[in-house]
Formats: sequence, C-alpha cells, structure tokens
Amino acid sequence: MKEIVIISGKGGTGKTSVAAALASIASQTVMADCDVDAADLHLILKPETRKSEAFFSGVKAVIDPNKCSSCGLCQDICRFDAVCHQGSVYRIDPLDCEGCGYCHHICPVDAIDLQEQQVGYCYISDTKYDCQLVHAKLEAGADNSGKLVAKVKKDAKEIARKTGMNYILVDGSPGIGCPVISSLSGADFVLLVTEPTLSGLGDMRRVNQLVEQFKIPTGCLINKSDINPEVTEKIRAYIQGKDILQVDEIPYDEEFSQAITLGQSLVEFNPAKWQPRFTKIWQTIIKELQ
Amino acid sequence: MKIAFTSAGTNWDAQIDPRFGRADFIIFYDEEKDEISSFDNRNIIKVAHGAGPQTAQKLFEFKPQVLITGNGPGGNAAAILSQMDLRIFTGAGGMTVREAYEAYKNGKLPQSD
Repeated sequence: MKEIVIISGKGGTGKTSVAAALASIASQTVMADCDVDAADLHLILKPETRKSEAFFSGVKAVIDPNKCSSCGLCQDICRFDAVCHQGSVYRIDPLDCEGCGYCHHICPVDAIDLQEQQVGYCYISDTKYDCQLVHAKLEAGADNSGKLVAKVKKDAKEIARKTGMNYILVDGSPGIGCPVISSLSGADFVLLVTEPTLSGLGDMRRVNQLVEQFKIPTGCLINKSDINPEVTEKIRAYIQGKDILQVDEIPYDEEFSQAITLGQSLVEFNPAKWQPRFTKIWQTIIKELQ
Repeated sequence: MKIAFTSAGTNWDAQIDPRFGRADFIIFYDEEKDEISSFDNRNIIKVAHGAGPQTAQKLFEFKPQVLITGNGPGGNAAAILSQMDLRIFTGAGGMTVREAYEAYKNGKLPQSD
C-alpha cells in the first residue's frame, strides 16, 4: 500500500482541484482529506457518510465550584484572562481558555480539572467516484492538528487494508506546521502543486525543505504555468536542481473554477480534455512508486 | 551498538513504522547482549502537537547509537536528536524490523546528515 500526499505550501494553487481530478480517475484508491482547516474536497466528492466518530483534542480547564476556595490565584496567573468571577464564584470562560494547564497545576485545593474537548467529527464516506473518503469537520474555532491528520490517515490505511486498495491519496494541509508534518510522515510520494507567483515559488521552496527532511520522492505540477513565464522558469530551475520530478505544466484554465462552481471534478466537467491528462499524471506518479 | 527502530509492533517480524514522532513502538536491539526490548509509544496518539519532539525526548532516555526509521524525523525532532551521539538511517518503510536490520548491516539504508 502506497501513500501519495498532495501539498502546495501556498493556498489557491489548485491543489484540491488536482486531488479531486485524480480521485475521479484513480482506481484502487482511498482518499483522505487532511486539509481539515478548510476542507473542501467533499464539495466535489459528495460523500455519503457511512461512519462518523466524535474527535477529541486538547483540554480546557474547568473549576469545580464545590472544591473552589475562591483564593483567586488562578485568575492572577492566567495569561489568557480566561478566569472570571462573580463575587466568590470563579469560573473559566471556555472561549478564552487555551488549555495550558497552569491553573490546574497551581490550584492549592485541586479544584481545577483539565477536560478533553470534543472539537469535531471524523467521517468515513462513500463518494460518487470509485473511492471512499476519510474526512473530518472541526467546530468553529477548533484547529487542525497533527493528531487529527494522523487519525484521518490511520482510518484511510485501515480501509485500504480491509478492502485491498493499493493507494491512499492524501489532500494535505497547508503551511509547514504540525498538520503538514503529520501529512508527510509515512508518505511514499509527494506531489507539490504550485503556481508561478512569487509566493507560490517561495512557499513551495519552504514546504520542500520539509519534504527533503523526510526524504520522500517528490514531483511537481506547475498550475497556471503561463501566467508568469519568468517565475515558471525559476520554478523549473528549482525543481531540476532539487531532483524533483516534473509531473506536468498546466496553463491557466478557467475550467478549474467552472468545474468547482458546479461541484464537479475537471474530469467530470470536460472528460475529453482532462481525462487523458490526469490519467497520464496519475500513471506518472504510480510509475515512480514501483 | 544499541539500535532503535520505529515499528508497528514489538518483535523482529513487526513492520517498520515509517513515521518517527507518531510511531506506535520503538524497538531497541542491543547487539552486544543480543537483547531486544521495546517501548510502547502509542500514547502519542493523544498528543495534538509536537509528537516528534516528545518521541525524540524518549530516545534520549534510552540512548541508542543508531536509529532506523522510514522518512526520518521532522525539523524539531531532528534538532533534539542532533544533541545526541546518534546516527539516523532512513528508507526502512515497508520492511520488517529484521529486514531493516539486515539492510542496515549491508549498508543499504541511507544515512541522514
């Protein structure tokens, strides 16, 4: 079983359009949406949930009023001003609490408990394509984490194992932080989707430093390749110098946004034009995994 | 030589866990004593952020001279491990612990800088 992760570093390069297009042609594949902060793969894949599971992450402090001696020490030390009181009754505002646990450790009468928070749900769903999708939904204000990404990928692997699938295709998280590290960890191939803008190039370099650290074979797809020939040339030079496989260059195409507006993948939107192209991209990636 | 493996189980036939920070187990093999032991790292599933540095800290306690893993540790974990006298070998994903040890012995695993 091989794991392919699609990342971009920068938002808006077309990463999810590429992921959805590959999902609509790839066989033997389980999809995993690890871009949980702004999950949008489901808009195209139209998942029908088979299984949902509450997801817990992080803690928040809660004061037991029966134990509290109203000494006010927690309010003094809280850096987030999360402790408030009316008269002698102290309580913690869950929206302000960051779960650092300082008050819990310092409370002289052990009145403060750290309670695990339910921050969202994980789903396993059927999609309108041939593949199942593992995805998640976070409550407002909850953030994505390495933990959640690891959970989504673990569920995807289990499904792949049970149903005899060969590939896991991961729509990775943005940036270079903990969720991306978790997306990359254990991957067999990384597809960088970038665009020829300065931030596209800069963010690709930045995220590729991370990929290099993990020593994962890497390919690059330059989307909107004709919008700035000068930067495209720089991207080409960069990926050549780094021994990154050039997977494809796709000129700017309004069908990317037209397809998304209709909730379709590019391959569905215009099969004659996109199916051969993405089939070739998929085959290029699969060949690298042999 | 004391060798650490990131693994999905506790014996020679276990698969290497290609992940470092979120590896389920760490297996230690002491070549001189020919002894194998393991550390259960599965509690790491509860950690939202910073799994790599935490697992790196665990390695500090066991002080292996060699680490064999899949992708290699991320930046923060690598920064911690660089403080140890530790050689890191990657590329063992998909192998069993036994196969990974053989590959390491035969110089087939790339060493991280």
